[in-house]
Amino acid sequence: MRRLIATHEAGLAALLAALLVAAWRTDPAFVSWRVQSGLLPQIGETALLAVPMTLIVITGGIDLSVGSVMALASVLFGLGFRSGWPVEACAAAALAAGLLCGALNGWFVTRFRVHPLIVTLGTMSAFRGLAEGVSAARPVSGFPDTFLRIGQGWTAVGLFAALTLAGTAVLARHVLGRRIYGIGLGESAARASGWNVDRLKASLYAFSGLMAGVAGVLFTARRNTAKADVGAGIELEVVTAVVLGGTSIFGGRGTLVGTALGLAVLHEVRQFVGWRWSNDVLNLVVVGALLIGAVTLNGVISRRPAGSVEGG
Amino acid sequence: MRLRGVPGPALVLALLCALATAINPAFLSPRNLTDLMLAAAPTLIAACGLMLVVASGEIDISIGSLLGLCAAVAGTLSSPDRLGLPPSLAVAATLALGLGVGLLNGVLVSLVRVPSIIVTLGMLSVLKGANELLMGGKWITRLPDGLRAWGTGSVLGVPVPIAACAAVVALTWLLANRTAWGRRVFAVGSNADSARLAGIPVGRTKLAAFGLAGLLVALATLVSVPRLSLVDSGVGVGFELLVVTCVVVGGVSIRGGTGTILGVVLGVLLLSSVRTVLIFLQLGESSLYWERAIQGALILAAVMGDAAGRRREARA
Repeated sequence: MRRLIATHEAGLAALLAALLVAAWRTDPAFVSWRVQSGLLPQIGETALLAVPMTLIVITGGIDLSVGSVMALASVLFGLGFRSGWPVEACAAAALAAGLLCGALNGWFVTRFRVHPLIVTLGTMSAFRGLAEGVSAARPVSGFPDTFLRIGQGWTAVGLFAALTLAGTAVLARHVLGRRIYGIGLGESAARASGWNVDRLKASLYAFSGLMAGVAGVLFTARRNTAKADVGAGIELEVVTAVVLGGTSIFGGRGTLVGTALGLAVLHEVRQFVGWRWSNDVLNLVVVGALLIGAVTLNGVISRRPAGSVEGG
Repeated sequence: MRLRGVPGPALVLALLCALATAINPAFLSPRNLTDLMLAAAPTLIAACGLMLVVASGEIDISIGSLLGLCAAVAGTLSSPDRLGLPPSLAVAATLALGLGVGLLNGVLVSLVRVPSIIVTLGMLSVLKGANELLMGGKWITRLPDGLRAWGTGSVLGVPVPIAACAAVVALTWLLANRTAWGRRVFAVGSNADSARLAGIPVGRTKLAAFGLAGLLVALATLVSVPRLSLVDSGVGVGFELLVVTCVVVGGVSIRGGTGTILGVVLGVLLLSSVRTVLIFLQLGESSLYWERAIQGALILAAVMGDAAGRRREARA
């Protein structure tokens, strides 16, 4: 199992290297530090959401509502700011809303035992609708410079790196990591082992909601606008990166390092296509084809009996 | 069990309609009902196809992008500003495209064994990109009358979209309930392994469901897009979520194996009437922004109803 995952990650790393070499040969300027560091913040929110998404997908679930939670957090931030709250209070309200949304997802998933795809499809509409309803689709902008600065820099990417390191350690070494893989490999077996499966799953959805709240605030700072269409479609991007990174959509298999590589491939392909042909149309085709191709290959490679519970 | 997914949506739909009628009796006027049906027809046509896919234990979230690409292809082929080919050719090409994409999804799912949510997620991107490449950032503004007739014409006094929708619902009912293939779809969806042991060609059954779903999306395009004389690259965005919502609210289990046409019809009518009801309730313009929140709440209500139903079944 461990070797299999290493193979997928090595393959991704090779793909990433090949991409960068190809990009460097067509246009050396693209691979320069200045350009790369300038483009990096653009993947920030997606990266941040990909950490909890990886953990959730490993348990065999999914969270489609992350983009809508981002929007709700952003809108609440904007409304608070317009009614004269200090930025810190607005941010706290946005994060609390994110956490609450995530907890609600977790409650629905564990209380009603309905497939998370359906629950989060419902809350995806509900939270986005709530954001549209309370804001009446009107944007808020004009935030102070001190706040805007946290969106321009590497806050999201830095937070992602820290979470990836911590998460990797937990997945590989901590009992929680064992349990996350265990739930994905067989939920009834995990329950029979006396683990509190529901509490762990609910916490992961709450974590996802909290990160979506953070992403919503950071996005608001990056674009200097708080409105209800923030994060539209980002859930598909996040799931693409996670699956590209080798996490099985059926659960039980995947790593955060793989997700980081998946994000890097996604980001570089998209930025290079946008840079070279100055439109971001072609990359929709490329990203979609990449996803189908990676999963097809992954499926062909891993179609063998799962032998062990070795996850990390 | 046979009424799964029917009582809940029927009750909510009846309540909504009663409320809207009480405030403004014009809600039940033939004109308003026709408009409601016209708006619901393309969703219902696509939902019939998706229902069979979901009943077979799979999902297709590429249908919104497919609708957009079908619209772009139909427009590009037939508009005098673009290729200006005969409308019948554009119609045939659109239907062939829908069928082809559906079959491609089906092949990847059933032969290559990639999970359908991943295949169709990838396809969603690919088709959206193809759509935008084809449109080239411009609108298609002039559609020939031959194509527009699919959306605005009528057969025997019934608007074409409604007639087509009725035919699709009837055919899907027949397929699901009166053919061996229909039985197999539900068998495959409730337990693919037992179905395989029983000698059912699981792969081919799913392949046909995906093909049919693609074809019906193309038909939904033909009866909806030409109603406006304009095609842009935003056509179909989010349509997949609406259709999945309708199917789920209509009581089709996402785990596969169950679902009724009547439930799906009610689900579509319920979701499509939310907007009209909001308008008739005259709560002011800002009330329309709550449409999506209400749709989401309906899914969650359906989820809770489904869970309650399963608990009852377990006890019985």
